[in-house]
Amino acid sequence: MSAMWPAGYEPVLLARVSRPDSRSIDGYLADGGYASWKKVLAGIATGEWTPAKVTEMVKASALRGRGGAGFPCGLKWTFVPPKEKRGNKPVYLLCNADESEPGTFKDRVFIEKDPHQILEGMMLASFALGVKHAYLYIRGEMVHGAEILNAAVDEAYQKGLLGKNVLGSGIDLDITIHRGAGAYIGGEEPALTESLEEKRGHPRVKPPFPAVSGVWAAPTIVNNVETLCCVKHIVDRGADWFKGYGRNEKNTGPKLFCISGHVERPGVYEAPMGIPFMELLALAGGVKGGRKLKAVIPGGSSAPMLTAAEVANMPLDFDGVAAAKSMLGSAAIIVMDETADIPKAVTNISKFYAHESCGQCTPCREGTPWLNKMLKRLVNGQGKRQDIDLLLQISGQMGNGMTICVFADAAIAPVISGITKFRAEFEAYLAKAASPDFALSAPSDVTKKVAERMAEGIHC
Amino acid sequence: MVKVTVDGTAVEVPDNANALEACRAAGVDVPHFCYHPRFSIVGQCRMCMVEIDGAPKVQASCTVPVRGGMVIRASSEKALAARNATMEFLLINHPLDCPICDQAGECQLQDNAVAGGLPVSRTSEPRRQFPGYDRTDIGPHVIADMTRCIQCTRCIRFCNEIAGTGELTFIERGGHTMVWTHEGHQLDNEWSACAADVCPVGALTTKEFRFRKRVWWLKKTASVCPGCEIGCNISIEHREQVVHRFLPRVNLGVNDFWMCDHGRFLAESLNGRDFLKPVVPDDFLKASEPDGRGRRETNWGEALGLVHEKLTAAKPAAVLAIGSANLSTEENWLLAELFGKTVGTPNVEFDADQGPLRRIRNPKAIGADGGFLKGTVAAPNARGAEAAGVRKASGESALGRLLTGSLVPDVLYVADAAFSARTADPAFVAKLRKAKFLVVHARTRSALTDVADVVLPVSGLTGKDGSFLNVQGRVQRFDVAFVPPPIVKTDLEVLLHLGQRFGVFETRWTTADVFGKLAATVPAYGGLAWDAPAVVGLPPSVSPAASYDVLRPPRTSVDDTDKLPAAAGKA
Repeated sequence: MSAMWPAGYEPVLLARVSRPDSRSIDGYLADGGYASWKKVLAGIATGEWTPAKVTEMVKASALRGRGGAGFPCGLKWTFVPPKEKRGNKPVYLLCNADESEPGTFKDRVFIEKDPHQILEGMMLASFALGVKHAYLYIRGEMVHGAEILNAAVDEAYQKGLLGKNVLGSGIDLDITIHRGAGAYIGGEEPALTESLEEKRGHPRVKPPFPAVSGVWAAPTIVNNVETLCCVKHIVDRGADWFKGYGRNEKNTGPKLFCISGHVERPGVYEAPMGIPFMELLALAGGVKGGRKLKAVIPGGSSAPMLTAAEVANMPLDFDGVAAAKSMLGSAAIIVMDETADIPKAVTNISKFYAHESCGQCTPCREGTPWLNKMLKRLVNGQGKRQDIDLLLQISGQMGNGMTICVFADAAIAPVISGITKFRAEFEAYLAKAASPDFALSAPSDVTKKVAERMAEGIHC
Repeated sequence: MVKVTVDGTAVEVPDNANALEACRAAGVDVPHFCYHPRFSIVGQCRMCMVEIDGAPKVQASCTVPVRGGMVIRASSEKALAARNATMEFLLINHPLDCPICDQAGECQLQDNAVAGGLPVSRTSEPRRQFPGYDRTDIGPHVIADMTRCIQCTRCIRFCNEIAGTGELTFIERGGHTMVWTHEGHQLDNEWSACAADVCPVGALTTKEFRFRKRVWWLKKTASVCPGCEIGCNISIEHREQVVHRFLPRVNLGVNDFWMCDHGRFLAESLNGRDFLKPVVPDDFLKASEPDGRGRRETNWGEALGLVHEKLTAAKPAAVLAIGSANLSTEENWLLAELFGKTVGTPNVEFDADQGPLRRIRNPKAIGADGGFLKGTVAAPNARGAEAAGVRKASGESALGRLLTGSLVPDVLYVADAAFSARTADPAFVAKLRKAKFLVVHARTRSALTDVADVVLPVSGLTGKDGSFLNVQGRVQRFDVAFVPPPIVKTDLEVLLHLGQRFGVFETRWTTADVFGKLAATVPAYGGLAWDAPAVVGLPPSVSPAASYDVLRPPRTSVDDTDKLPAAAGKA
C-alpha cells in the first residue's frame, strides 16, 4: 500500500508516511513534529495560547469530523458543559481508532506509519478541552497498530511530552491506548464509551450525548484519528491555510480517500476536499482493465451506492456526496465495474451487518439476519416473486428512528440503493430461480444448514 | 407536574415521567416490553414507538422525558406502523409453541400480538434455534429457553439493579444474542424467581410451576406471604382446592413488585390435609393399645365438649394456651380473650422462630434499611400476636417452665400445631406432652399431633381470612382462597365455638366482627376499620410481567395504616 496524491499537490496528512523512520519520535521531531505542542505549552505562561484560542482556530477552520458523520469538530467541542455546570467531573477525550467500516483503511495508515501525528493532535485537542486523561480506542483486530501506538506513547513520555507538568507548563496529560474487543459497533460514540468502561459495546439512548455524559458519566469528546491529525495541522499553519483547501466554506481541508475495488491502484490517496470523483478515479489508475464503471459506494458500506451516471460530476466532499443522495462517510470509495454482480455484493454487505448487529434493538437484531437470509436465498436460486418487494419493505421498517443508533440505517442503505438502482439484476436472479412461484424455503437439508451456520462462525 | 397531550387528551404527569408513562396516565395503552418502572430505561425493544410533535422520526416513548406542552401521538398511522413493524420482527423468530408454553395466557408478546400484530406472516425463513440453550436449568428455580427470548433485558436489569447480584448477561450478539448466566455462575439469589416474573415471555419460567396448570384456570386470591414478618403481598393462585403458586402482589409500601424465593415456594406447603374430623381419646382403644394413645375421629360437639369440660375442671393457673405468629391477629385476640379473661389463666403465650434474614428491595418503604425491608422472624404475625395480647414466651414464662419441667399444665391448648419449627423435634414434643391434657389445632400430621389428646382440624391459610401485622406495623388483610372441606373449621370458628360454650362468644361472628371488637379493645388498633387495610395491597394482577398495570392512585388508606407502626410498637 503506497500513499499517493494528485500531481502538484503537496501532501499534508501523508507527508511523512513513506519515510523510513516515520514511526519513531526522533524522526518525527526531526521533521518538525511536536513543534505545535511545544509552542502552545510555552505560550501558556505568556497568555499567547489559551484553550479557547485553539477551539476558536478549529471552529474557524470549519473542520468537519472525518469519522463519517461530518459533524463540525469545533462545534462539537463547545458542547462540553462549562466548569460551573459540570462541577468536579473531568473531561475525557476519546480518539476513535475503531476503524471497521468495510472499505476504510485510512486511520490505519496514521496508526502504523505516523503515530506521533495522532498523539500530537490528541495533545492539542486535550489542551483545548482541558482534558487530563485522553484515550485512544483502537480496533481490537489491530494488534500490530496497538503495539506501535503503545511504543509511541512510551516514547512521548520519555521525551517529557506527556505526564505531569509537561515541559514545565503546568499541564498534566496522560494518554492511554485501549484495545477494543472486536466489534464494528464499538466505533459508534456511546458504544465506544460503554466499551471503554469495559461493558458490552452497546449504543445507548441519546440524549445525554457523550459531550455531556460519556465515559464514567463525565463529559467526553470523541474524535476520529484523521480529525485529530487535522487539528495538529490547523494549529501548525492556521485556520485560513486549512480553509484554502476545498470547494466551499463548509467542506475544507486536506482529505484522505480509501479507494478499493475494481481500480488499477487501490490505496489511500490524499487530495483536497472536494476533488471530483472522476479525477480521483484517474489518480487510482482508472477502472481495472479499462472496463466500464458500473457502481460506486462512496463512503464505506453504509453509504447508499451510486451509479456511474450519478458520480460522473460528483465532487468528493460531505455536501457534494450528500447532494447525490449518498454520504461521504469515511471516504471509503468502493468501485465496481461492469463485471460486478450487485445482488451478490449486496448479499455480502448484508452478511456483514447481520454479523455485526449488537443485538439490542428488535428491528436491527431481527431485521439484519432476515435481509441476509432472503438475499442469500435469492442469489442461490431459491428466490420468490415477492422477495424483492419484501426486501424493500423490511428495510423500510428498520431505519429512520426505529433503532437506538444508526446501524440499522447503515445496514439497509446498500439493500435499498442496490435494489432501486439495479432492480433488473435482482429480477434476473428470480428468472433463474428454481420455482419462484412456490413458497420454497431455504434448503431444508440439515447437513447443509449446519455447514452454513458453521461457516458463519455460529457456535450453537 | 407538567401538562402533556396524548392523542388529544390533556394529562398532567410528574416532571420526571417519560412519554410512555404519560400515555399510560392518559389511558392510552402503548405496548412495550423492556420498560419496567423499577428498572433503568434502555429503550431497546422498540415496541413503544410513538410520534411526538416536533420530532421528525418516531420515538421510543419510554426514552423521551416529558416536557410541558408536549404533544404525543400514540395512535397515529406512523406510530402504529412502527409498532407493527417491531411486532413483525419479534415474531419472525419467536417459536409458535404457545400451546406448550407456560407463559401462554399471561404473555405480553401474545397479548400484544393479538391486540395489534399483523394477521399474516411474511417470512419463510427457518426460525432461529438455540441448541443447548433451550429448556435449560440456569439456577435452583429458573428454567431458561432462549428460543422464546425477546432480548428485553428485564431479567438482566432485575439481577443488576434490584437483586444487586448480576448473574445474568447477554452473550453472543446480533441475531444470536441471548441472555445467559455468567460463565460458572447460576441464577441463584434470594429473589431469583422474580427474574421469571418480569420476563414478558416464556423464556424464563419457574421450575416449580412449569407444566402445572394453564394460567387461565387459576383463581387468584389476595393474601399475605406466611414466610416471614415482612408480609409480602401475594396472590395465591389455586384451582380446585389446590394451591399452584404464589405470585407477588404489588404493594408499593411493602414488597413493591417482589417477593423472595423462600416465601414464594412455600406455596406447596399449603396443600395437603391429614385431618378431616376432630380426634378425641377413646377409652376402648386406649385399653386395647399398650402405649395408651388410642384415639378416634368424632364430631365437633363431642370434641369441643371434651375440651370445655377439661378447661372448666382445670385450675386456671394450670392452663397454658399457646397462640401463634402464624395465626391472624383476630385469632390470637380471641385466644387471649377466651383464655385470659374467661378461663382466667395468665398463661397465654406464643413462641416464634428466629429465621434467616429475609430481605426485599424497597428503598421507599417505611422501615427500610439500606434499601431493603428486612424480616428476621420466620412467621408473618409475631407483632400481631403481641398486639392482640398474647405474650411472647420466655425462659421464665409458662412455656419456659413447661419446657424445664417446673410447670405441668392440666390443659395445654396449642392453637397452631406448627407454631414453631421445634414441634417437629421429638424431644420438644415430649416436653409438651407432659401436660395432662393436650389439645392442638392442626391441618397436617406432625410429631405433635401424634401425641395430642384432641386434634381439632382447621383450614390453614387458604381457608380463612384475617389480618397480619407486619414488621413495619402495617395491618394487612388476607382473603379466603377456597373453603375447606365440610366440617373442617377455621381457627377463628373453632375458638368462637369454644367461646360459645363458655357463653362469651357467638358463632355467628365474622372475622370483620372480631376485628371490630379487637379494634375497640386494643388501643393500637383504635380507629381502624376492617375495610381499610384491605385496600393496602392491590388486587391480584393479570400477569406478573405486567403487574404494574394495576398501579392506580389513590391509595390514601396506605397512609392511614402507616400510622400504626409506632402505636402498635408501643402496645
